[in-house]
Amino acid sequence: MTLTDLMTMAKSNEELQKKIRNQLWNTHPDECYQCMRCTSGCTSLKLLELKPHEITILVNAGFIEELVSSDIIWTCTSCLKCRERCPQKASPYNTIMALRNLAVEQEAKIPEKYMKVVAQILETGMAEQAQIVTSKDMQSFNREKLGLPEIQQADDKFKAIFMKILGG
Amino acid sequence: MEDEELKIAVYWGCKIPATQYAYEMSVRQVLPRLGVELIDLKGTSCCGGPVRSINNLASMYLSARIMALSSKTTGEGLLVPCNECHFMLTETKHRIDNDEETYEQIGKLLSEEGLEYSTDLKIWHVVDLLHDVVKVETVKSTVMKPLEGFRFAVHPGCQIIRPSEIGRVDNPENPKKLDALVKALGAETVDYTEKLDCCGAALMYSHEEAALSLAGSKLKALQAYGADGFVDTCPYCHTMYDAKQEAAAATVGGKLSVSVFYYTQLLGIALGIEQKKLGLHLNQSNDPRKFNL
Repeated sequence: MTLTDLMTMAKSNEELQKKIRNQLWNTHPDECYQCMRCTSGCTSLKLLELKPHEITILVNAGFIEELVSSDIIWTCTSCLKCRERCPQKASPYNTIMALRNLAVEQEAKIPEKYMKVVAQILETGMAEQAQIVTSKDMQSFNREKLGLPEIQQADDKFKAIFMKILGG
Repeated sequence: MEDEELKIAVYWGCKIPATQYAYEMSVRQVLPRLGVELIDLKGTSCCGGPVRSINNLASMYLSARIMALSSKTTGEGLLVPCNECHFMLTETKHRIDNDEETYEQIGKLLSEEGLEYSTDLKIWHVVDLLHDVVKVETVKSTVMKPLEGFRFAVHPGCQIIRPSEIGRVDNPENPKKLDALVKALGAETVDYTEKLDCCGAALMYSHEEAALSLAGSKLKALQAYGADGFVDTCPYCHTMYDAKQEAAAATVGGKLSVSVFYYTQLLGIALGIEQKKLGLHLNQSNDPRKFNL
């Protein structure tokens, strides 16, 4: 089912629309006049059919639940072309990020890897752990073997603050 | 620039110190030779990049935390060699500096750890640090082994050139600094239509096949231009084009054989630094013996 199908069936939700608008700073989707400059240069248009101008108009129409439960908001590559080129400061990129945050808040289905990375940060402070890498001639190397200094990780104080923010 | 030493703090992020050792090694090798002394930040954490999709405030806190750690050092600014981290920190700084409510909210969170946000931090990326501070002329005059006869295609990446409203390292639509830095090494650069195409790395979280296809299409197009190699400056882009090149080739059909380098690796070679110290043996896409640098 495409977004357009959803739109014909859906009811506007002003409460959630307000939530999205409150999350946006210096971003004005309501100023969008559908010039489609965002969509014409969108990295994810061809492969994943992301149409940023459509996201913006759906938000303006209040079809937030439909967007939040759709996979389409997870197809953005964050290349930031739409934000750069928008003549109205509507930045679909920022709207998409706000919709993703709301999807998490509403416990909608989100790509697993995002939650994994948050768990990793809570555990070690970093999004990734140092790995053993292999050269083209199949030799293994870690940081020490390459003469790189040990990573000095953050202590637990920061984790408590981070956790508190996530918990709302 | 040659006579005076510049001391600068460096935040490596997660991707570089976890897997992209060649970038870290080559940055550590080349910058001191150009008069830039690096001070490693201690007790760092993620910049908040992947967290932005989950919780915007949490991601801003993470970015601000790095900036607060940096203001505790004696460095004259902060070098952030990862494009995503560079964007996250600059974006958060722009918000904090222009939004009183966020300034107070973040300040309160940081104070729980005894940290303080300072508004006068200057954030650098490898590209603008070399181009604007060290200067292209200095790079040029320090070269010992010019890369003459080579033609490279440069990949400026997305997040260090956009959005211009927050202040980025180069022009958002016609970036030329990386080209100028490659030319300073004696090589030529290729003008190509796909120069601004995105590597797709962010989609590895949700749509892996599409991500690989984006990386693959750019390399496939590039092969037709007959460049000797591909130059980038971001650990995410580099992973897509280098380590994932074979997988990317499978999604676009045909064979890909593009030698991918970090700019700092090429710079190191031109400065006469041993290839192993620049992590050239860790690149997965190219065979230095075949390349004959």
